[in-house]
Amino acid sequence: MPIVELNGRPYHVDDNGFLQDPQIWNDDVARDFATTEGIAEMTDEHWKLVRYLREYYLQFGIAPMVRKLCKETGLKLARVYELFPSGPANGACKVAGLPKPTGCV
Amino acid sequence: MRPRTKFSDLARADREPVARIDPADLPPLSSPGPPPAKLAAAWPARMDAAGYPLDGTRVLAFPDPATKAERDALVGAFLSGLEKLFSRENNWTFLQPLLLSMEHCARCQTCSDACHVFESSGREELYRPTFRSEIFRRLYFEHVKGGGLVSAWQHGRVEVTWPLVARLGELAYRCNLCRRCAQACPIGVDNGLIAHEIRKLFSQELGIAPTELHASGSMLQMKVGSSTGMNAAAVRDNASFIDEEMTEKTGVAVETPWDVEGADVLLIHNAGEILSWPENPGAFAVILNAAGISWTMSSDIAGYDSVNYGVWYDDAQLARVARMHAEIAKALKVKKIVVGECGHAHKALLVVADRLLDGDLRIPRESALTLLRDIVAGGRLRLDPSRNDFPVTLHDPCNVVRLMGVVEPQREVLRLVCPRFREMTPHGVDNYCCGGGSGFAVMGGNGFQDWRSQVAGRRKLQQVLDAFSDCLEPAVRKYVCAPCSNCKGQIRDLLAFHDVWRRHGIMYGGLAELVVNAMKDVNPGFIEWEWR
Repeated sequence: MPIVELNGRPYHVDDNGFLQDPQIWNDDVARDFATTEGIAEMTDEHWKLVRYLREYYLQFGIAPMVRKLCKETGLKLARVYELFPSGPANGACKVAGLPKPTGCV
Repeated sequence: MRPRTKFSDLARADREPVARIDPADLPPLSSPGPPPAKLAAAWPARMDAAGYPLDGTRVLAFPDPATKAERDALVGAFLSGLEKLFSRENNWTFLQPLLLSMEHCARCQTCSDACHVFESSGREELYRPTFRSEIFRRLYFEHVKGGGLVSAWQHGRVEVTWPLVARLGELAYRCNLCRRCAQACPIGVDNGLIAHEIRKLFSQELGIAPTELHASGSMLQMKVGSSTGMNAAAVRDNASFIDEEMTEKTGVAVETPWDVEGADVLLIHNAGEILSWPENPGAFAVILNAAGISWTMSSDIAGYDSVNYGVWYDDAQLARVARMHAEIAKALKVKKIVVGECGHAHKALLVVADRLLDGDLRIPRESALTLLRDIVAGGRLRLDPSRNDFPVTLHDPCNVVRLMGVVEPQREVLRLVCPRFREMTPHGVDNYCCGGGSGFAVMGGNGFQDWRSQVAGRRKLQQVLDAFSDCLEPAVRKYVCAPCSNCKGQIRDLLAFHDVWRRHGIMYGGLAELVVNAMKDVNPGFIEWEWR
């Protein structure tokens, strides 16, 4: 299991750089992982997406549909890509401490 | 020029990759304008030195055996598994074509020119379709057929060491199992099958398989219901969201029927569609309702996810999931199962399952493409093809087209709804794989996504660019129709990696969406030209 050091803190991650243990996630972890996405500062819009992902994950155990994410947060998909350049699944989920989405998605 | 990779390189005990793929060695893409700057640098930057590396990327993660005893045990398990592949009791499904492929290769190399991975890698020997087959064939003659001096002289030999076995397992995941080589072979030798059998040996005998296919693939599907991790509550929640969206968008009330006993059709989508491309299952709901088809979806475990990853790596997993699908159809007393736009599910449930299901589990099974053809060509929808006034090309999923021979139905639909449909070259059963086949589209760690975007998918990307060469300017919106989830995921990743939507205005999607986009009775503008 690879270990990465972000802002001086070590994290166990999977082969795609996703946090191994979603339980240890908190706001600091989100800020640390945001650096891997080239996000210098987490804005309100970043947090809005991350908090929605987190809540959905705690309820259903997976990431939500991207369309649902956009509808519920009121952010257009193009804006989501601006905020998280590698996209909702690979970028936003990583910062929100979700496991990498599985299956044919 | 890089040195020619040899069979014996796989047995090397050092920790250096056997081959290094340099983006500069790959055949240039004929795309107007400069390529995105990231391409030269993006790969192969992430060399991975774990285990005995093959080529700078890796899909099999397993602990490196620490002692000689552990290594010997693994090699022993490999050799006994090899023998089992050639016994009727243990491999009745695939023994006959496997034997034919072992005994009759004339080494003419016709297959090499048919292989997109070999060609797109700049003809790297490691990826030549006969490279892994020949190693496997030598092991077969020595360890299954008894070997001996004459055999070694006639067939050649390779030394069996743990590094060789480990690298051969990884090399089985550099073939898309598209079987274009088997079609080109004058004798019918199937290098794709050989790669498949090696994967199977690793999974069934050594317990080694890619995480995406096994632990978070078929195991997850059988546990919670879907390899996406969606349980029944999640899928119902998502489907009702799709119904709402479709109703809003089309102006027609859309409701997906669930668990309806005695329906004519049980429709099973690849559940990835529901999460990533909800407009596809949404479009099916609109079409089936408008055509007056009696249909249902199932919320039973695996009943709402047609995927069967076992078809790529493990016969036992394949059989378990195929049986679950058939049991659900039987319990619901439906007349037939229709598999949505998912190629490998076609192979698993429509073809291979024929050798597994018996008695009352032999429920009729059909492709969604022929059902769509019957609906559209049968005049059951009011259509206005001028709503699809944009260039469209068609990708042929290998499992649907080359394997099953379902070539014309999807074309009949396109000719009726897309006035500007044009073919790729070559197409139909001569198509090229998207580069995501055999599970690659869902595998991505350790630089593998870059590998499949740069090497495995390169030929397909070139075909797409060529099909639209008369209208590559981004202002002209174009559509690659890929009626298969795996292909769609790969084509999405290809277009994104090479920045093709922004540079050339090429979008991708399924077949059902094009039908709904042309339906007179729904609001115009079903297809949204927003990158996703």
